[in-house]
Amino acid sequence: MAYDAIDIHQHLWPEPLLGELSRRRSAPMLIRRAAGWVLRLRGEAEAPVDLADHDPVRRAELVDADGLDRVLVAPSVPLGIEALPAGEAELLLDAYHDGVAVLGDPFGAWAAVALAAPDPAALTRLLDRGFVGACIAADALCGPDGFDRLGPVLEALERHDAPLFVHPGPVPAGAAGGMPRWWPALTHYVAGMQTAWHAFAVWGRPAHPRLRVCFAMLGGLAPLQRERLVARGGRADSDDGVYLEVSSYGARAVDAMLREVGVDRLVHGSDRPVCTPVELPLGDAVHSALRRRNPSRFLHPTATLVAA
Amino acid sequence: MRTRDLDRRELRELVAQIAADPQRWRSLVRHGTAERAFEQLWRDEHVDVWVISWMNGSDTGFHDHDVSRGAVAVAEGEVIEERLVLGGPARELHHRAGDVFDFDASHVHRMRQDSDTPAVSIHAYSPPLWRMGSYAVAPDGTLRRESISYAEELRPVEAAA
Repeated sequence: MAYDAIDIHQHLWPEPLLGELSRRRSAPMLIRRAAGWVLRLRGEAEAPVDLADHDPVRRAELVDADGLDRVLVAPSVPLGIEALPAGEAELLLDAYHDGVAVLGDPFGAWAAVALAAPDPAALTRLLDRGFVGACIAADALCGPDGFDRLGPVLEALERHDAPLFVHPGPVPAGAAGGMPRWWPALTHYVAGMQTAWHAFAVWGRPAHPRLRVCFAMLGGLAPLQRERLVARGGRADSDDGVYLEVSSYGARAVDAMLREVGVDRLVHGSDRPVCTPVELPLGDAVHSALRRRNPSRFLHPTATLVAA
Repeated sequence: MRTRDLDRRELRELVAQIAADPQRWRSLVRHGTAERAFEQLWRDEHVDVWVISWMNGSDTGFHDHDVSRGAVAVAEGEVIEERLVLGGPARELHHRAGDVFDFDASHVHRMRQDSDTPAVSIHAYSPPLWRMGSYAVAPDGTLRRESISYAEELRPVEAAA
């Protein structure tokens, strides 16, 4: 059986979303400056945006150049759109969903979930439209309250046999002021992903025994904390339904994670256009497992085929 | 929940116990091609366990298991283990159904199958396999070692394509 080569983690702001972001008068918003477009977020310094990065034709060319058959577009969760008040978020989320739904091959997409009033029926309609699963901010799943609030949404995923993608969330207002641009990615994102990883084991898995989950950016390397977890009295049970996506990491971290959890739990994601994918010098078998076999098993559990 | 890596005696007991209980692995046996077929039965932070299906001509080549010790129980058929001897022919051991053998991390061997009767073996490694050494003899007769991911051996591209 031939598996498609899949990148489960890219971002692309479709035309309707660009339009809505540029019409806004408060963050998150796109602003046209003399030197070009900039993105203003609540917690971060203004950052330049190259709209060509979000051109579907150019991106499709990169999909080919990357040797991929399929790319999954995820909502740009750190923009904080999902966390906007009810009534404000929907306009932007509809623009995202409607825009990515018409991209066509080779693109598929993750559905976003408005957090002010998580709506399992809305998610189910998106899954019925062909969205592969839901992408939710780590910060929304960092403790029992989050799993209570999002429980019905996660149950909708389970009913649909669709997976969850946990992505770093928006930075609290003011937290990154005056810091280098990489600061949130190495502090808030890492801490958030680590917290969500542990929270899923403690509250998520018992409540959602069938849910398949993938943590972006190797879960902030949380699985490598296993020895410390055990030393401090925690349990470190293996969970075959949990996957780790490798974006922004290279050979050292991916190989360390491979040692910890095994190759079957790692999936390829690039985080384009935020990051550029790197070739992992870990051999053809690892390359194939991360891009072909494992994403297929994560997205479609019936595809658990092995050697003929 | 295991709290430490397994020693060789514990690995022997583990593979022997699993080999004697075909219900745990029968559905994962795949005899189709000359390639070995691998299925992982278990993995935690201290041990991984595989069922391997062997056909006539299956051959691992000489390899080591880096920092892992291991044990193998032959559940069905016969597999041949060769241990490298410098300046002489490899030492050949025939392991038949019911046999169990174990090795430490310094062990270098090659396993192959040379019979019309397919074989099935249960393998356990502790700590779980990570990197392995794959050996080949260069044209000038020198021995070369290549460091490979365990995936190269147990999750080969052919199995996924």
